[in-house]
Amino acid sequence: MNLELIIFIVLALTGAISAVGMITRPNPVISALFLIFNFFALAGLYLLLNAQFISIVQIIVYAGAIMVLFLFVIMLLRTGEEPKLFSEKKHIKYFAIVIAVLVFVQLGYLIFYEAPSEYISQRVQQSMEAGTIENIGQQLYTTYMIPFEAAGFLLLAATIGALVLAKKNFE
Amino acid sequence: MNSIPIEYYLILSAFMFTVGVTGVLIRRNAIVIFMCVELMLNSANLTMVAFSSYLGQSAGQIFVFFVMTVAAAEAAVGLAIIIAIFRNKLTVNIDEINIFKW
Amino acid sequence: MLTEFGKVLVFIILAAAFVVIALFVARLIRPARPTKEKFTIYECGENPEGTPWVKFNIRFYVVALIFLIFDVEIVLLFPWALTYQDYGIYGFLVGIIFLLILGLGMAYEWRKGDLEWEKPSPKPPNLAKILEKSKRNIPVEVPD
Repeated sequence: MNLELIIFIVLALTGAISAVGMITRPNPVISALFLIFNFFALAGLYLLLNAQFISIVQIIVYAGAIMVLFLFVIMLLRTGEEPKLFSEKKHIKYFAIVIAVLVFVQLGYLIFYEAPSEYISQRVQQSMEAGTIENIGQQLYTTYMIPFEAAGFLLLAATIGALVLAKKNFE
Repeated sequence: MNSIPIEYYLILSAFMFTVGVTGVLIRRNAIVIFMCVELMLNSANLTMVAFSSYLGQSAGQIFVFFVMTVAAAEAAVGLAIIIAIFRNKLTVNIDEINIFKW
Repeated sequence: MLTEFGKVLVFIILAAAFVVIALFVARLIRPARPTKEKFTIYECGENPEGTPWVKFNIRFYVVALIFLIFDVEIVLLFPWALTYQDYGIYGFLVGIIFLLILGLGMAYEWRKGDLEWEKPSPKPPNLAKILEKSKRNIPVEVPD
């Protein structure tokens, strides 16, 4: 039981509990706050994985911008609490549980069947170098140049599309 | 050398993905469903960062960037669609939004 | 084996845990006698009216949206600022094209007036009207 494992367990428990809290709270604002908690736990996990830039970006983009947008929309629409967590249709509930168990069993089976840790072990030095801003920049602007420009187009489309959809004769 | 096997990260990611799927299926609030989708995207990000770190390559981390861009665009447009629907139907409960049915 | 970032992470977790534990212990030992009065919203002695969950203006969404887009743009450009000189004019052009694409979005917002914050314009009091009213001995309503 070393320190790294303890940190992992603390962060993983935080992430898992806040994820479950998110889908079980009836109030959407509390759901959003749980999700922000989850994002912070993930940022800690990324730091543990030596992905320092991703970790900061996770906080800046997800916790700082995307969740703010979500909270503004919750405030804007003022939806209130859901009186019943589950749908009124009873079969959807059982269907959801079956699907969730199936997905988890399938993913877990794959993970343990393949057992990637038998031939992959963490390369601390290499991963430290891979996570630096310089390395990511070098990859991003040479090998991944076309996807990078495509991301720019995607953001442009998102800006214009969201403005057109949201502003059209409100009130 | 390293004490944490990569399976731990993968199982955590699988668990978060499953929670996201469950949330999409059981919740009725469209905004919360979008948050569950964000959770699923994040669990995929965790897998990519874990493999990127354990293999010592930065390709996975660059894809995380693109996933974040897509998530931001998706949140912006998706929430705008929810606002547009709310304006017409005055609800975000997806049981009541059935304009595609006839 | 913890890396240097792992040590920073330990500090962050300990700091967060300290806050959580302190608040939790305080919750355990403090007296809790909730009354209805204590749960009402404090409004400078007035009785609160309506619900605090008021509807936000749509403008807040637009501002948050623009912030989100530029936030992601900055994050994508941050590695470029550090590495573009390694690739000469080519590396420079990659970032400039990206900026131009997003500049189009910015131009659209500007053209459509989404960057303006329309304030309700206060009307200046019409002095001539007030004088005319006071001549005819009509009680003057001075707008504040």
